[in-house]
Amino acid sequence: MARAGGMTNAVNVGIAVQADWENREFISNISLNVRRLFDFLLQFEATTKSKLAALNEKLDILERKLEVLEVQVSSATTNPSVFT
Amino acid sequence: MQQLGPERPAMTFDEVSLERSKSFVQALQELKNLRPQLYSAADYCEKAYLHSEQKQMVLDHLKEYAVRALVNAVDHLGTVTYKLTEISEQQSSDISTVELKISCLSQQILTCQTFADKEGLRQQQLSSRTTPRHKKHYILPSPIHKRLENISNLPKDNRSSHVQSMPLPQSYGVLTPKTLSWHLASDNSPAPSKESWTSLLVEDSRDRNVTMNSLPPSEHGVPMSLSSHLQAAKGNGTSVKDEMEAKKSLSEFKSFDKSVRGEISQPPPRSKNIISALFPRNKNFKPKRVPVS
Repeated sequence: MARAGGMTNAVNVGIAVQADWENREFISNISLNVRRLFDFLLQFEATTKSKLAALNEKLDILERKLEVLEVQVSSATTNPSVFT
Repeated sequence: MQQLGPERPAMTFDEVSLERSKSFVQALQELKNLRPQLYSAADYCEKAYLHSEQKQMVLDHLKEYAVRALVNAVDHLGTVTYKLTEISEQQSSDISTVELKISCLSQQILTCQTFADKEGLRQQQLSSRTTPRHKKHYILPSPIHKRLENISNLPKDNRSSHVQSMPLPQSYGVLTPKTLSWHLASDNSPAPSKESWTSLLVEDSRDRNVTMNSLPPSEHGVPMSLSSHLQAAKGNGTSVKDEMEAKKSLSEFKSFDKSVRGEISQPPPRSKNIISALFPRNKNFKPKRVPVS
């Protein structure tokens, strides 16, 4: 009787250990996916920052070109007799 | 965004961009709302696991909810990133179009500036053509008119006449321009005709006689030979003299024409020949001899 009780205890322990291992595996998978998601977010942030910086630089250049054009047009409008 | 429903009208570019931005903001808001939902779900699962009796069932449900929550979060995040990249691409395309337009404007302004510069240069050239640019020395003079002008401008004082009479033997007043013009004419025309030579010589001889006759009498410095020559030229008939001189000079130039084409750097002998032909020495002239006691 005692031996049957011991065997059931061992089986239960084995089952518990197996379940624990499954849980741990599940948790590891979840954590791995979360970390992958976090890496994706970091990479996305870096690329978005670079794109926005490039757009900002282009906008600055265009703004300077527009200022030059404004000055040239203003100088041309002040002397319209040149083009007549 | 650009799906056209049966009831929805066509959208403009601005409306499409506005719609895209609105959807991006909405997706971002939904992603932000996931955080409190996940926190609340985690608290509920913890309390349920602690207080319930069927822990295995709670655990299984918790595993499924975690998986779904993770998938939902990934879905929302993907939507947000997709919309953000779409908006950034649209902005970059807009900036490129604006850059092209600005380059077109700059090119137009550059063409206008070049046009204005060319017009200014053309007007300046037109204004410069009206004014004489070259010195009179390099301009072929009209011999008769200019000599008459020179003669009319000559003063009547003795000193001035003396000063002007001195260099006559060398230049004869208008000899150097005559030679320059003669040289230029000879250079320009490779085969000058006889008529041109005769016309030049006749004009030259007539001009010299005119200058010689119109010059005021000099008292000092003029050598006796020159004065005697002048008197001899005055005494003889001008019309007959002109013909004889022209013929002599023409004969001389005929022989000299061949050497002119090869050698241009021999002006002095021609002038001497011309001078000798035009003003022959008076053979009857004898210098006075003053007896010395």
